[in-house]
Amino acid sequence: MKKVRVGAGSSGWPDYKDSAWDVAEHGDVDYIAFDHLAELTMAILQAQRARDPRRGYIPDVIPLMRGLLPIWKKKDKHFKMVSNGGGANPVRCAEEVFKIVKDLNLGGMKIGIVTGDEIPLSRIDELRAQGYKFKSLDTGEEDIDRIRDKLLCAYVYIGADKIIEALEGGADLVLTGRASDNSLYVGPFMHALGWKYEDAYWDRIGAGVIVGHLLECSSWSAGTCSNLWEEAEYPEGNPGFPIAEMDETGECVITKTATSGGLIRELTLKEHLVYEVHDPHNYIMPDGIADITTIKLEQIGKDRVRISKLGDAPRGKKRPDTLKLCLAYNDGYISEEMMVISGPKVLKMAERITEFIHRRLKHLNLKPREVLIQLIGFNSLQGPTVPVPDPEHEPPELGFRVAFKCDTEAEARECRVECGHLAWAAAGVGTAFTNPPGIRPVYALWPTLIPRDAVPLQLEIKEVK
Amino acid sequence: MKKVKIAGCSAGWPDMMDPAIEVAEKSDAKYLAFDHLAELTMAILERQKAKRPDRGYIPDVIPLMKKLLPIWKEKRFKMISNAGGANPEQCAEEIIKLAKNLGIIGFRIGIITGDDLPIERVKELRAKGIKFRNLDTGEPDIDRVINDLVAAYVYIGADRIIEALDQGADLVIGGRISDNSLFVGPWMYEFGWKYEDAYWDRIGAAVCTAHLLECGTWSCGTCSNFWEEVPEPWHSGAPICEMGEDGNSIITKVEGSGGLVRADTLKEHLVYEVHDPENYIMPDGIGDTTAIKLEDIGPNKVRISKLGNKPRGKPRPSTLKFCLAYLDGYISEYIMIVPGPKAYDMAKRCEEFFYKRLEIVGLKPVETLVSFIGYNALFGPTAPPIDYSPNELGVRFAIKTRTLEEAREARLQATLSWYAAGVGTAFGAPSEREVLALWPTLIPREEVPTKLEMREVK
Amino acid sequence: MKKVRLRDICWYRSGDKGDISNIGLMAKNEKIYQIIKRQVTPEKVKAHFKDWVKGEVIIYPMDNLLALEIVMYQALGGGATKTLRIDQTGKAMGNALAWMEVEVPDDFVVPK
Repeated sequence: MKKVRVGAGSSGWPDYKDSAWDVAEHGDVDYIAFDHLAELTMAILQAQRARDPRRGYIPDVIPLMRGLLPIWKKKDKHFKMVSNGGGANPVRCAEEVFKIVKDLNLGGMKIGIVTGDEIPLSRIDELRAQGYKFKSLDTGEEDIDRIRDKLLCAYVYIGADKIIEALEGGADLVLTGRASDNSLYVGPFMHALGWKYEDAYWDRIGAGVIVGHLLECSSWSAGTCSNLWEEAEYPEGNPGFPIAEMDETGECVITKTATSGGLIRELTLKEHLVYEVHDPHNYIMPDGIADITTIKLEQIGKDRVRISKLGDAPRGKKRPDTLKLCLAYNDGYISEEMMVISGPKVLKMAERITEFIHRRLKHLNLKPREVLIQLIGFNSLQGPTVPVPDPEHEPPELGFRVAFKCDTEAEARECRVECGHLAWAAAGVGTAFTNPPGIRPVYALWPTLIPRDAVPLQLEIKEVK
Repeated sequence: MKKVKIAGCSAGWPDMMDPAIEVAEKSDAKYLAFDHLAELTMAILERQKAKRPDRGYIPDVIPLMKKLLPIWKEKRFKMISNAGGANPEQCAEEIIKLAKNLGIIGFRIGIITGDDLPIERVKELRAKGIKFRNLDTGEPDIDRVINDLVAAYVYIGADRIIEALDQGADLVIGGRISDNSLFVGPWMYEFGWKYEDAYWDRIGAAVCTAHLLECGTWSCGTCSNFWEEVPEPWHSGAPICEMGEDGNSIITKVEGSGGLVRADTLKEHLVYEVHDPENYIMPDGIGDTTAIKLEDIGPNKVRISKLGNKPRGKPRPSTLKFCLAYLDGYISEYIMIVPGPKAYDMAKRCEEFFYKRLEIVGLKPVETLVSFIGYNALFGPTAPPIDYSPNELGVRFAIKTRTLEEAREARLQATLSWYAAGVGTAFGAPSEREVLALWPTLIPREEVPTKLEMREVK
Repeated sequence: MKKVRLRDICWYRSGDKGDISNIGLMAKNEKIYQIIKRQVTPEKVKAHFKDWVKGEVIIYPMDNLLALEIVMYQALGGGATKTLRIDQTGKAMGNALAWMEVEVPDDFVVPK
């Protein structure tokens, strides 16, 4: 029975490089997949590329590869790599990787470069002229009239099609832009196990989608940010990344290397199975629609959990005809300020400062679109759900944070200085200032759908010998 | 007896502008004094000027003057300011342009320069044999930092301010004029006091009183122990001081403004940053803050008068405070917030994890500090043992390194530490900055020739 | 009957998609799963969050994992890129939900 071992190499930007190198060195893997992109990252990378055409890929790819490729060579170039670190400039990213290959004398390498995920705004206009409507998946608004002139860029979450083609073409590394995190894993599963986008395989592809979901957040399935945080141990500060052993029926065991910290338990996987899935019967991904309620988890050894089919229900359905399209647009500026205030009566002081801010905004006739005040140490994470404070046990100090959203950078700055920073006037003695982050532009996202056949993709395989 | 009113209209950068406008509009203060410079500000402004020769003054002065000049036209008060920073000439130039646009003719500006020394001059002085001993650490000279110097500036006194007023200046603008001198200058000019024996007691009174005014609204109840009682701090008044020729004075604020002037709010400021209270050393004189008394004489009205027979001041020093600013690496910071229950344990875990990560990537920062906002960020080792369960804590990492790359790497590892926390940890945006360190020393007064240039809006 | 907080009987983890907050609430055992399946309703969840959740709440049970998938619309102050909240992606929304109380029999023992 065919089996394949796929390891996680990254879940975002940043992530632990040494954990990826550990997977390569000790994980006995056939593939490693690297997800570097969060919802907003493509918009940020495109802005970088607009300022400097040599940029726009994920910078981390370079130091990551520098440490990884020598291990790859040592393993006789056995494992293949799939990465969306190409971001908004996969061509340039590939050039930089080839430089490393030459610098380190690693011999030959083939890189498959996948493009087509970025949609020029002119194409958006074309499609609209043809009658296509980009309905917002968030708000239900019918079309993008409201934001058209604020649009910055558009990108599609593409599937594994070209990844599979690249692997078939002998690529050692496949570099993409906005490939869905999930597809970075489904692609290797489908290629290694011979699955196709056809009826006989949707159940198995569904299993692949589910396991991809578990691996794409790297250490998060292996004990980091976990309910089991007290038990997870990192003797050397090195979290482990999960590795999936998948067979051709879609049955799978998740494990990790013995040399890394963290843990693989039913709970650490379950935590990730319930994360961001929305409707668990219809976990819609570009390569298939998975049903997460059709599988069961079983601990079969230390850091080994089997995922198998539960009952008869198919683990997946046919992939959708549409792909997720994100339109990024500018929606104002956010500024913030934080000061640390001292008790006693720290909550009362916070109330006073809050009053000061609102009165001063009025006094100076400043009208931010939105103002938010949060108390670090009291309610910044849990907002209105925090229980009534115990008067006997007030915190000795709190971080008083105020954030403003305005239409222009100048307004955001004025609000921050006059009513954020200068709000110390209402605080008591002993108030400390902090270094707030700089004023940032708001990149808002308009998530919508685009027909799959309106998104032609390209693959180019380049080689150094 | 002649009396002269001066208002303390600004304490730093930034500060509230509206108290200054209110003083201009509603009070009969003859002088408005503006202090914009904190210890580090001059170094920051010098760096700005090095990048762009038309910068280096406090930008706030422009919107401030835009509002004040039309009022000046009617009321003809005088203004003394250190907003010139590293570029008083350009600052004056901008104000003249502004005045012309507003149709304000005849406005006279005295521009004081010479407080900031080029690094070459510092080297010349060393060659002459002058040693720049560090007042903080006691190090005998600046060998360690001579190659990293970026700015050098002297806290100058009121000499040129008096001269400018004598020549009819409506606005006196300079760079690193001591905050204190912004007030002592006008009083010395108005009362004809000189830097001579007969006047040190009165000059000392002015030095002590100026200390109460240079922090602007802080003397009117902002950032106060009495924060619960201070009315309407959002439009706090600025302190206004009427001094008589005997050196005694009364401090009030504009009627109807927010804030609070009371003996105890002023006391808070009298004990602030004075070091040895009997020897409050300023360029114009050495004040004795134990030789005065404060008395409430009405709502928002405090008298400051001589206590007993001790002189309120001694002769001014022969040296001036001299600050050398030098580059001293980088600091990067990161804050993440961990949820309860067991937030303290979780925070300690993140801290442990962070240090292990530094080892694993082989990074050796010059210094690190991990503090928990909500528990001990302010109190450090004096924080009482934790006897309650915080809902959350802000875990703040601050790392000092030699190079920018190390600062970024350290920040990255701090970022990755949030994974060791439990579920529900949120991350905050990071930042990193260059460290400008200060080397405080002394320079003989005669090595600092200053200049005054008078200009008029025609 | 007596009351316990969800944090004593469940695990949780939260994620985001745009302005939608997604909480996975995992019961520590089968008995607890039945309790939360019955008592953790969209109405109660929405009331618990007060003005932090402005839209609908939909709850999907996952019998295979003894978990409830709770989806809350307009719950993140506009979404990660737009929100003013310091917790931009709502990672602690599950922790916030965990303050909520449910009723259990008097002889109910809170698991370790």
